[in-house]
Amino acid sequence: MAFGRGSVEFDEAAPLLEARDVRVTIGGEDILASASLTLGRGELLAVVGPNGAGKSTFARAFCGLRRPDGGEVLWKGVPLARLRGRQLARVRAYVPQRAQVPTGVTVEAAVRIGRSTHLKPLQGLTAEDRAVVEESIARARMQGFEDRDLSTLSGGEMQRVQIAIALAQGAPVLVADEPTAQLDLGATAAISKMLRELVAAGMGVVLIVHDLALAAAIADRVVVMSHGRSIATGTPNEVLTSQLIGDVWGVEAELVHREGRSALHVEWLDDH
Amino acid sequence: MLAALVAATCASLALGAVDIPVSGVIDTLLGKQVPEVTRNIIEILRLPRTVEAILVGAALGVAGACLQGALNNPLASPDVIGVTGGAGFGAMLVILLYPSSIALLPVSALFFGLFAATMVFIIGFTGRGGGNITRVILAGIAVASLFSAGTAAIMAAYPDRVPNGIYFLVGGLTTSGWDTLETVWPYLAVGFVLAAFMIRPLDRLMLGDDVAASLGSRPRLIRLTAALAAAVLASAAASIAGLLAFLGLVIPHLIRLLGGTKSHVFVIPVSALAGAALLTAGDTLARTIAAPVEMPVGPFLVLLGVPLFLWLLRKAA
Repeated sequence: MAFGRGSVEFDEAAPLLEARDVRVTIGGEDILASASLTLGRGELLAVVGPNGAGKSTFARAFCGLRRPDGGEVLWKGVPLARLRGRQLARVRAYVPQRAQVPTGVTVEAAVRIGRSTHLKPLQGLTAEDRAVVEESIARARMQGFEDRDLSTLSGGEMQRVQIAIALAQGAPVLVADEPTAQLDLGATAAISKMLRELVAAGMGVVLIVHDLALAAAIADRVVVMSHGRSIATGTPNEVLTSQLIGDVWGVEAELVHREGRSALHVEWLDDH
Repeated sequence: MLAALVAATCASLALGAVDIPVSGVIDTLLGKQVPEVTRNIIEILRLPRTVEAILVGAALGVAGACLQGALNNPLASPDVIGVTGGAGFGAMLVILLYPSSIALLPVSALFFGLFAATMVFIIGFTGRGGGNITRVILAGIAVASLFSAGTAAIMAAYPDRVPNGIYFLVGGLTTSGWDTLETVWPYLAVGFVLAAFMIRPLDRLMLGDDVAASLGSRPRLIRLTAALAAAVLASAAASIAGLLAFLGLVIPHLIRLLGGTKSHVFVIPVSALAGAALLTAGDTLARTIAAPVEMPVGPFLVLLGVPLFLWLLRKAA
């Protein structure tokens, strides 16, 4: 609804996203106590943590979908509170965890809706906008699906459409909340490759994910969250030690890397 | 659809107690030399009525499309936000209690239609958890019952005057010149403009509140604005043509079924055209089929529309 009046000056030298001590309170209780992260260009940052650690709440807060009750969020140096909806939509795209799947909407129509952030209320798509829509569909590997109804897609295809919708916004940052949580191995690998391609093209990606092996394999850095706090940040090797996994998840486990592959060796049952 | 509307408009202007050839209609509208009688029939009797049919039909089509999109509910029609109940009460109040001030009927229907919708919006959209769709719909049903009960109460108190109100309750156009339109057109204009600005936000809402919000829209504000547009349009329509809310429910469905898409870029404008065409054609039929007796267009359209609608419903599934 914001029509983009009032210009803001983005600082191109600043990190794409800086969140410091973000706090979210619901009913007098801290759902998110203090969470921080910094995202640079061409970086894939994974936010990991157990269920209920506040990962999604953190993402919703720094994406502006839920007003933070404390702390500071800067998008390219500009405070979140100063960004109107449209301006925010130009700097970050957000893919929600559980997307609504309407019937009677084609893939192309959905991706066009993603592009609508660039249009005035009654303005139609320009040739350039159409080109961006087409390119976004291609980058999400959904060519050939343009005229398919969303309700006929598989989970993996739907997730790629969600990413295509986000890409059509043309924002330098993509925030995806558990995009692979419902997907099988092949679809997860496809999404992972796609995200790495976006990063290689210079985008910043924040991935909310609970799969540690996946995070370790594809993220440049990880932020570990526990009980509403970000408790560690660094490369997967530095941070995801057996000690930390034991402390945060309460499970004996070791992250093993070999030739670009990663696995989590878990002691599932404490029987020896 | 545009062609259907043009055809319906020509028929509406040409047909009636006196049939006038289409060429005569066009000559009159272009201001050419035509017999005085022809000019009077068209300019004083038929043109206002045709314009009313077009505007009311378009208003109801758009109102239904906006509401169904805003509440993400295919059952939504101007009934569910209290407009129909409120407008009916407003009209019956004048017809039954103040028959001498019958000129106030459109104003009263408009006022009470908007008043009922405002009640629904205040209850449904404010406070904790405001904007929840179920809450809005439940509030609407409750408020509508309240006004229906009020209508029933005054009808019970003045049973002898009830027949005067039937025409309003079932919905129909009358040949009343430009007076009503002169009062109501600003509301229609506001409603249409609001609805036009809601087309894209409603499309975003289809992808879910989170996606809409991440694209820079505010889901609650979209719902409220689109519902407000619908309330203004439906109240204005009711003040001109009585309770034709069925059109608002059915037309957007017809359009979605025929068009195979839910995109509001398509559904809202085409619902406007289809509503206008259907009501204009229906009104022409209703006043010519058993001439000189005029049937009220409301039940007439329902009789024609329901079988078509049910057939499409089966076919689409």
